[in-house]
Amino acid sequence: MAPSDAITHDVIVVGAGLAGTWAAMSAMEAGVQDVGVLSKLHPLRSHSGAAQGGIAAALNNVRPVAGTGPRGPLEQIPPDAEPIDSWELHMFDTIKGSDWLGDQDAIEIMVKDAIDIVYAYEHMGCVFSRTPDGRIAQRRFGGHSTPRANYAADWTGHVLLHTIHEQALKHGVKFYSEWFALDLIVEDRVCKGVVAMNIQTGEIVTMRAKAVMFGTGGYGRAWKITSNATANTGDGVAIAYNAGIPLMDMEFVQFHPTGLYRHGILMSEACRGEGGYLLNNAGERFMERYAPDKMELAPRDLVSRSEQREIDEGRGVEEDGQGIYLDLRHLGRDKIMERLPQVRDIALKFVGVDIIDGLCPIQPTAHYSMGGIPADADGQVIADAEGTPVIGLYAAGECACISVHGANRLGTNSLLDASVFGRRAGLAIAAFIKGGAALQPIEGDPTAPARQRIARLMSDPPGSKGESWAALARALKETMTANAGIFRDEVRLKTALADIHALQERFERARVMDRSKRFNTDVLGAIETENLLIFSEVIAVSALERTESRGAHARTDYPKRDDENWLKHTLAHKTPDGPALSYKGVTIDWEKYPPQERKY
Amino acid sequence: MATNGSVPTVTIRIQRFNPDVDKKPYLQEFQVKAPPGKTILDALHEIKEEQDGSVTFRRSCRHAICGSCAMNVNGKHMLVCDAPLREHLDRKGVLTLRPLAYLPIIKDLVVDRSSFWEQYQRVKPWLIPPENIPEKEFRMSPAEVAALRDAEHCIMCGACYSSCQVIALTKQYIGPHALLKAFLRVLDPRDSAPAARLADLDRGDGVYRCHTIFNCIDACPKGLNPTEAIETLRKLVIKRQAFEAARAERQRRLDQPIEVVGEAPALSGGE
Repeated sequence: MAPSDAITHDVIVVGAGLAGTWAAMSAMEAGVQDVGVLSKLHPLRSHSGAAQGGIAAALNNVRPVAGTGPRGPLEQIPPDAEPIDSWELHMFDTIKGSDWLGDQDAIEIMVKDAIDIVYAYEHMGCVFSRTPDGRIAQRRFGGHSTPRANYAADWTGHVLLHTIHEQALKHGVKFYSEWFALDLIVEDRVCKGVVAMNIQTGEIVTMRAKAVMFGTGGYGRAWKITSNATANTGDGVAIAYNAGIPLMDMEFVQFHPTGLYRHGILMSEACRGEGGYLLNNAGERFMERYAPDKMELAPRDLVSRSEQREIDEGRGVEEDGQGIYLDLRHLGRDKIMERLPQVRDIALKFVGVDIIDGLCPIQPTAHYSMGGIPADADGQVIADAEGTPVIGLYAAGECACISVHGANRLGTNSLLDASVFGRRAGLAIAAFIKGGAALQPIEGDPTAPARQRIARLMSDPPGSKGESWAALARALKETMTANAGIFRDEVRLKTALADIHALQERFERARVMDRSKRFNTDVLGAIETENLLIFSEVIAVSALERTESRGAHARTDYPKRDDENWLKHTLAHKTPDGPALSYKGVTIDWEKYPPQERKY
Repeated sequence: MATNGSVPTVTIRIQRFNPDVDKKPYLQEFQVKAPPGKTILDALHEIKEEQDGSVTFRRSCRHAICGSCAMNVNGKHMLVCDAPLREHLDRKGVLTLRPLAYLPIIKDLVVDRSSFWEQYQRVKPWLIPPENIPEKEFRMSPAEVAALRDAEHCIMCGACYSSCQVIALTKQYIGPHALLKAFLRVLDPRDSAPAARLADLDRGDGVYRCHTIFNCIDACPKGLNPTEAIETLRKLVIKRQAFEAARAERQRRLDQPIEVVGEAPALSGGE
């Protein structure tokens, strides 16, 4: 039986960003009495709050002014005018953005639910920007053929996160703030709970539940230049993999075109949505060469590759030639202060540039994880290509791969994905609980492996000095940036893999300096680094095997998309010999949305 | 500020305290390089990773939106993630970091914000919507949204709270952060219970406890003005019945388009 000190809930959610909080709130709204949410941060610190530009939904509130072209001004749609947008158009844009790797049944659910979920946020008190007649304001975003990014200035994620957190409090969700998940308890494809650490006390506890839901976020911290918060170390993904859950499409990692130069901090795509230019060292709008139609509003994978090509061919800016200029000067002070106040602040504070009258240096930055824990459109985690469910285990948001983003996500579809599938997971969990789900017996002490790991980190190393986890993390970021970044090839990916293996071996000797129990962020850093090393291996192996270029996975030795061999999802299972790959078909409506050449 | 070549080395003093082993807090000195562009958070990471792994602080987003890393820098409360190291040195070229004031210390620079969050919950931060929910959005004018802008932008970092002289005296006071949240709900045309909210603020430890010392304004890393919001709430507390009546009147038109006077301005895009 389980240890007597176990904490028990009907449902345990790990992660308190949009996906996790929606799941918890919806499950309670649907009648589940007892939901606990763990977060390694206070819930309002979750990285969903850093999203800036908007959340996609075809609300038909604004349209381009007739005759002004694809980058002209927008106006509110008069009440009697024809709509310009539809979920079908949103669906096509998302499929094309995904380079046809997104599962079209899941995409259909997402874009249809989009309209309802944005109104749900509005009805819960979210303060959106408005059109003159009082509707939710919309702007353009990359890869979307209509202005459908519903926004609150350039802090959309922040207001959505605060709104849904307030609702969770209203519904009585119990939050475990600053609790760190260490292991998932899964036996014979049945999930029984999690092992977690109360960071404040250092206590390690078994948490039993009838259902566990992961909304643990992405894995951008494996790269040197990233927009991601320090928390985004892919913990949930690594924990699931360790528990025998496969990871899907991990090779697809999005590099956002406008990370602040040297810092990687996000400069919202809204900068380009509002009309911003990208310039090389000759002052050219180089996107003319790569996406003559969409220009700066091409999808992120394409724009980031274009920037990197300019940089690699010697047309970058700044001392080391690794930058590109973002030019917003022509937008004017008023528009910048109203719609891009946060990015103005960021550029001022970190690089000393006022975007009202200065050129802001930017560079591509690791931003979003398309891959993750495979799940269906109800968040049900699956164990293999046949879709065998892991009973009682759910996932949504960036840690999950449902897969709505395929090989490349469109901007504003992530807040949408996390919200829609978080809510759906919550409702599916409620049905599962009300259908008679029970707590499962647990043999032995599931906390033992985590205790041993931590005891080792705190022990004195045999022989010479121990390794510093921070140095290992830095080395990993170097190799992932150089060898598993925007452009990849066989030689570089093999180098990355060899480096990762060497770092994993060195991690065996990693030790922490802080040996106390209380709020030990040294131990946290070490475990997070171990998680980075675990999933980075899966990324390198999956990327090496995929001998084509699709979406964000760009192989210079295989520059073309290869639908004949590679129109399929990667699944990586943990084995003693490293990740073992298998493949899963893509759900495609061959009548309506067959694969096409992807041009912008 | 000692220089080594062109990059100066600076002293950072960090207040250390682990209640399990230390009798009282003490300051520990560290030396770090201070090239241009380095933030205080960068320096803390460097100290933790290379000098003393037990130095403990909170952080996450690195760009002033998550609210984790508020602390006391040379006597002033701020976020350290967007604070350039060189700009915050004292006259001797030293930086002294302490935890947020008036809160129990968990360890080093990490404080227990329980009282802060309790007050946030106490004002019922969620919207209390009208009975009739429209099929689409409630209509709000850009001006109504603009009035909420400060309050919606608050990141709940606690810099204001720990700078407030009233909080120093009593944790019963609601505090500038939670009053700003209350302001957001009271002023939102979609909220149906402004009078009840205002009645709840009409107490000794509510809006009248603010002594308008303005420390919260100085401390806010987002440049917000909680004092002004509290002043507004005070005025509304007095006339809350009339305010609620006006709200009920406004809510009758919440599903109606806002009337636009003159030509509507362009929205977005446009080169």
